[in-house]
Amino acid sequence: MHPQLEILLQIQDLKAQRRDLTEVESERKVEEEEFRIDTEQAIRSIDEKIAELEAELTPSVRSRYERISRDRGRAVVPVINGICYGCFVSIPTALASDVRRNDEVRHCDHCGRFIYVMS
Amino acid sequence: MEAHVELREFFDKDAINLDLKGETKDEVLKELIGLLNVDEKSEAILFKMLRRRENLGSTGIGRGIAIPHCRSLVVNRLRVAFGRKANGIDYDAIDNSPVHYFFLIVAPPLEVSNQYLPVLGKVAQFAKEPDVPSRLAAIQTPDEFLALLAEKAV
Repeated sequence: MHPQLEILLQIQDLKAQRRDLTEVESERKVEEEEFRIDTEQAIRSIDEKIAELEAELTPSVRSRYERISRDRGRAVVPVINGICYGCFVSIPTALASDVRRNDEVRHCDHCGRFIYVMS
Repeated sequence: MEAHVELREFFDKDAINLDLKGETKDEVLKELIGLLNVDEKSEAILFKMLRRRENLGSTGIGRGIAIPHCRSLVVNRLRVAFGRKANGIDYDAIDNSPVHYFFLIVAPPLEVSNQYLPVLGKVAQFAKEPDVPSRLAAIQTPDEFLALLAEKAV
């Protein structure tokens, strides 16, 4: 896997974790009541880690990542069975085959999101 | 709307290890991730995410039980695993007791069936049953573990 793609995946995973704590009331409740975490502190910690990882992106990757995040929310999406799970449009066969190894940082030609092919 | 879930449906016999070898939190997390049978790179990303979640606060909820959990793009559906460590390990649990029983829960960031939270809640509920730690200590086979989940009807 390309190191930049790995960073992008981690950022997206952290954003999902942050979303659960900030936007999903039931999730926050479980984390606070069952696991007794301090939500505010947890969110700060997640934000710090996201910023740290964002700083590791190359300028060109970061530029697309910021633009897509701003315009479309999720910047990284899986490709499952040849379908981009950001816009649900088929990825051209050649590209889908090419990215199968995830060894390049690629994006969906239709929605522009970074794509990660599920093995 | 939350999906109706029964824990038994989510556990695969191949993802149950009643004799974990790990002696530390990190070793046990890696062993649990190994039960999910994902590729090496995905294992590494899952480990980082689970470790980060533990850094926010231990998922050791007391009475010898921990529920490490996270969301990650490297899985395409909800995945669960169970591991047991007879001697227990130091897991920074909220009651400071060693942890013997581990329920790993991993889900993609977006799920069509919305199962992550209900499963997390069910495992937490299961863990609170008074006799669960002693029953988990006594099981001999993965089938007995699955039977216990079915019996408790969680």
